Amino acid sequence: MSLLLELGLYFSLLSLLSVGGMPSVIPEMHRYVVESRGWISHNDFIEMFALGQAAPGPNVLIASLIGWKIAGVPGALVTLAAMCGPAAVLSFWVAGIWDRLQGTPWRAVAQRAMAPMVVGLILSGGFVLATPGSTPDWRMWLIAAASAWAMVATKLNPLWMLAGGAVAGAILL
Amino acid sequence: MQPAPPRSLGLLFLGFLSIGARAFGGVLPWAHRVMVEERRWLAPADFAEVVTLCQFLPGPNVGNASIVLGKKWFGLKGSIVAFLGFFGLPFLWVLALASLYEGFASQPGVKPVVTGVAAAGAGLFIGTAIKLARPIARKPAALVVIAGCFSAVGVGRVSMLIVIPVAAAISYLLAKRGLL
Repeated sequence: MSLLLELGLYFSLLSLLSVGGMPSVIPEMHRYVVESRGWISHNDFIEMFALGQAAPGPNVLIASLIGWKIAGVPGALVTLAAMCGPAAVLSFWVAGIWDRLQGTPWRAVAQRAMAPMVVGLILSGGFVLATPGSTPDWRMWLIAAASAWAMVATKLNPLWMLAGGAVAGAILL
Repeated sequence: MQPAPPRSLGLLFLGFLSIGARAFGGVLPWAHRVMVEERRWLAPADFAEVVTLCQFLPGPNVGNASIVLGKKWFGLKGSIVAFLGFFGLPFLWVLALASLYEGFASQPGVKPVVTGVAAAGAGLFIGTAIKLARPIARKPAALVVIAGCFSAVGVGRVSMLIVIPVAAAISYLLAKRGLL
């Protein structure tokens, strides 16, 4: 029970920190569940990440897969509810206020302030996921670089990059 | 034909169900297709406005959109129905997939494939970051904030509980002075 409680409280906190969406909190989630708590291994973490990316649906489900790996189906439900709940309550509450803030300087300033933070955090997520145990593996970096390039330079559905990663993994890793 | 809100809670549920269930490789394009093109709930400009709000708020973007739009059209009931419609199927599928995977995980040859997919997924994050950085990359202050967040969170592995408040305060002051 205390494990579920801790998962719930921690992921609720992540929910409120997830500026720009779920990818921003991936590095923090990894830091906590793998490095600090040791609930799952780095390998478990990237397996769940890969499954969550490849399956249809919102990428926040990566959180529920990690919850599932740590504490089974109850863990999956608790982490999903915690990851969405606080943000959902905030959205419900802010929905009316936001329209009234349209055109106010505060709204524009806050949006501009957020943009570079989100870039730095998402970049961190990519780096942490591609660098197992903080030891650089050039093969993983190569796959990540190719997929990043394809995303920036083409309009392909990201599923093609994941499929390419699967093939490259089978050959290189 | 003018865009019109869904006529019933059932249609709202089905619309969000079809977004969640089909969203291979990213949810936002599917949200656009269902709500703007197929069901004509929203005009393109209204959709863009909702997306801006939901990207600004913490939490899953389209998950937030289900709350905001559900409330707009049907109040609290609408938020709950849209949210459940959106998450229901993907949640079941992803757990089924993970359970299935557990049985295969120890087979030789599976781990390299999954690790490759994860590396490609990491690349998608990096690609997203590059796309988001393009419009702001000419501002030195933005590059400093990006580098600062990356060094602290990605390399230094400092807790985001510390990094976010500090970075938010610095960014806000920079943005207020017109540097971002």
